[in-house]
Amino acid sequence: MHMADALLSPAVGGTMWAVTAGITAYSAKKLKDSPDDSRVPLMGVLGAFIFAAQMINFSIPVTGSSGHLGGGMILAILLGPYAAFLVLASVLIVQALFFADGGILALGCNIFNMAFFPCFFAYPFIYRKIAGQNPTYKKILIGTTLSAVIALQLGAFSVVIETMASGISELPFNTFVLLMQPIHLAIGIVEGFVTAAVVSFVWKERPEVLEASSNDMPLQRGLPLKKVLAGFVVAALFTGGILSWFASSYPDGLEWSMARTAGVEELEAPEGGAHGFLAGLQEKLAFLPDYGFRQSGTVTLERPDTETRWPAVDPGTTVSGFVGGGLTLLLAGAAGLLLSRTAGRCK
Amino acid sequence: MSHHFLEVNDLYYSYPDGTEALKGVSLRLEHGEAVGLVGANGAGKSTLLLAVAGLVFSGSGTVNIGGAILSKKTLGEIRRRLGFIFQDPEDQLFMPTVFDDVAFGPLNQGLSAGEVSFRVEEALRSVGAGHLSDRPAYRLSGGEKRAVSIAAVLSMLPDILLMDEPSSGLDPRNRRMLIGLLGDFTHTRLIATHDLDLVLDVCPRTIVLHRGEIAADGHTEEIFRDEGLLERCSLEPPLCMQGVRS
Amino acid sequence: MAKKLDINFNELVSCSTAASGSSLVHRLDPRAKWLVTLAFAVTATSFGKYEIARLMPLFFYPFAMIALSGVAVADVLRRTALAAPFILLAGLFNPFFDRHVLISLWGFPLTGGWVSFLSITLRSVLVVSSVVLLSLTTRSDRLFSGLGELGVPSIFVVQLQFLNRYILLLAGEVQRIVRAHSLRSGSRRNSVSLFLSGSMLGILLLKSMDRAARVHWAMLARGFDGEVRTACPLKFSWQRDGAFVLIWVAFFGAVRFIDIPFLLFGWAVGK
Repeated sequence: MHMADALLSPAVGGTMWAVTAGITAYSAKKLKDSPDDSRVPLMGVLGAFIFAAQMINFSIPVTGSSGHLGGGMILAILLGPYAAFLVLASVLIVQALFFADGGILALGCNIFNMAFFPCFFAYPFIYRKIAGQNPTYKKILIGTTLSAVIALQLGAFSVVIETMASGISELPFNTFVLLMQPIHLAIGIVEGFVTAAVVSFVWKERPEVLEASSNDMPLQRGLPLKKVLAGFVVAALFTGGILSWFASSYPDGLEWSMARTAGVEELEAPEGGAHGFLAGLQEKLAFLPDYGFRQSGTVTLERPDTETRWPAVDPGTTVSGFVGGGLTLLLAGAAGLLLSRTAGRCK
Repeated sequence: MSHHFLEVNDLYYSYPDGTEALKGVSLRLEHGEAVGLVGANGAGKSTLLLAVAGLVFSGSGTVNIGGAILSKKTLGEIRRRLGFIFQDPEDQLFMPTVFDDVAFGPLNQGLSAGEVSFRVEEALRSVGAGHLSDRPAYRLSGGEKRAVSIAAVLSMLPDILLMDEPSSGLDPRNRRMLIGLLGDFTHTRLIATHDLDLVLDVCPRTIVLHRGEIAADGHTEEIFRDEGLLERCSLEPPLCMQGVRS
Repeated sequence: MAKKLDINFNELVSCSTAASGSSLVHRLDPRAKWLVTLAFAVTATSFGKYEIARLMPLFFYPFAMIALSGVAVADVLRRTALAAPFILLAGLFNPFFDRHVLISLWGFPLTGGWVSFLSITLRSVLVVSSVVLLSLTTRSDRLFSGLGELGVPSIFVVQLQFLNRYILLLAGEVQRIVRAHSLRSGSRRNSVSLFLSGSMLGILLLKSMDRAARVHWAMLARGFDGEVRTACPLKFSWQRDGAFVLIWVAFFGAVRFIDIPFLLFGWAVGK
């Protein structure tokens, strides 16, 4: 469900950065109000656990898609919403920096889509309402599945909204939604089951871990860590053993959704929005009369029936963009080489 | 000059699952004494060290470090006096570079930047690792990691050293260097180890722990010659004494 | 999965190796590099979706950073290529939905969809390579301390540093387990059955979490009180780091508001 920088506009990316920064600051303040230094390493460890769990892709039956554990609900249940949000944000930052998953501008969107909904919506309003008090296996199963499904639905819808608002992608809204939501429904159900297995085990072995977090209290000192660890091992075995049995190399849900959309044969006619955009583009480029793109843009607008009668634009004018661009690239490369030599001499 | 003593009185500790790890352990180390703590796997050696450092909290009993009774209140003070060297240097080298790691303790003591770098240099020099300062921890050899993990503790200028298996994972040459180093220290030392030859070289006195209780406490050579005791505690005499026995 | 782990582990190691260099770029304050990278991403994404030529001047940034940092070009290319599926997929569906002919090249129609696809791909390459360069020229701990100095709450930064530390340990252990497995499994290199990889992960997790608890003890034993202090706090030098930020932001601004390729074309034609 990672979004990439290239499909985002700076306005959308920047807004989501600001939103995410605000939630981060708020969460950090909440944690500062109840200090506990053992929580900090625990957060780091659980972040690493999520990382490991995410290396397993499980396939979604029927759809031919696959997804990996988001881990948001597990973290929220074990750490409480504030710490869980920070851990998920860290996981996403590390992925963006070292594995080029998502991008730097998209970080705000990705953190919001994948961390905000499980931590601050699904956990407090669904999971805790269902399984917060006097949990039973059934309550935990229903609570985690419902939470995971709803958190993922909201996250997926958020991806659609952010992509649409950016206006770089040509995916039609309806198609995008119709593919994103069902796929993330399936992913959500699987994620819910996995989360339920983990939470049930922890609850059975060390109920106080769940109680402590459900009261938003830091974990007690001297918790029998080994049993908690054992719970995670069982969870990892469950995730790895059962789910990867039918894991596949299918692309991630979002990628699959887009690929499926792109593969649809009956293509819809471009929306009026595209024309509007072209008109804007034309205006913007109007002060560059010799520029190939401008002229062609104008021609396109004049002749909407482009399939059969494409305009005969003088190659000479369109080539300006290519030559200019190519020259610029060459110059940039030459300058880079020059810098490299200079830097080499300085050593 | 007897202020750096370590006294443990009737210490009990149970794991959260109810297993008793320490059952009434009492011992006292005098200033500057080097004592070997030996025992089979699961005898409670590591737990005893952890309890002394206040890293696990005992059910009952007291720990007295140079006159300060271990409690939540004195924890900070006591940890300043104790240097805890863990079994796996990887656990202790959690910072990105050797310098950062050795500086971690002094920085937590609130020392000035100048004082910190002086301490780091001194500590690294004393273990022969001065040249490693800028290296990242994961690029060190096993012997270098051990040396740096000791320096990381020495930089805090502790009075008492607690060591958990300091010679594990070292090749013979590095082990020999370690033994030389440990023998030269003037700190009060409690060394938990399976390496009885190291104990023989470094510690005049040995405490044998068996199933959470002290089975013996006395002169190292006497204890290592007591085959019945060693047998009872699932220990084997040090290699250099096995020839004597047969 | 084994292959992915291998790649990930190698990337983590090569990244930390490259990042501990000592070039001019490596020595820059991480805050300056964060700001410039972010400004670069904003600039690259701020162009219209049919812009291609005007993105070209931005390639000077990765070229210059490679030149000044001495980072291997192959490293940058390989790590950028890791994101290739992302890069290509991002714009892949545009040609299907945007079929307006935007320009005609010597009689061949070029639709808006293909132009925007190329534009999206180019900006992806630009932005991904800039992030790759950030991670290759800055030690991860400094990168995250830089975040702290930029105002990110300290508890966030501290646990991020922990996460970073544990990931390296974890990846190393995965690598060893996978290697041990492939040695025993004979011919099928790098192909661990997914069932086995699941159990491997379980074992690994137990080991990692045990280690984490011991690391926490080791920290406490040395006076850890919730705050990780570093000996040399970052020093922002206006002459060095400030100039770095100003020069690049000015360059990005110029690229954004002046059509450099067009001017160059005019100059070339005029001659």
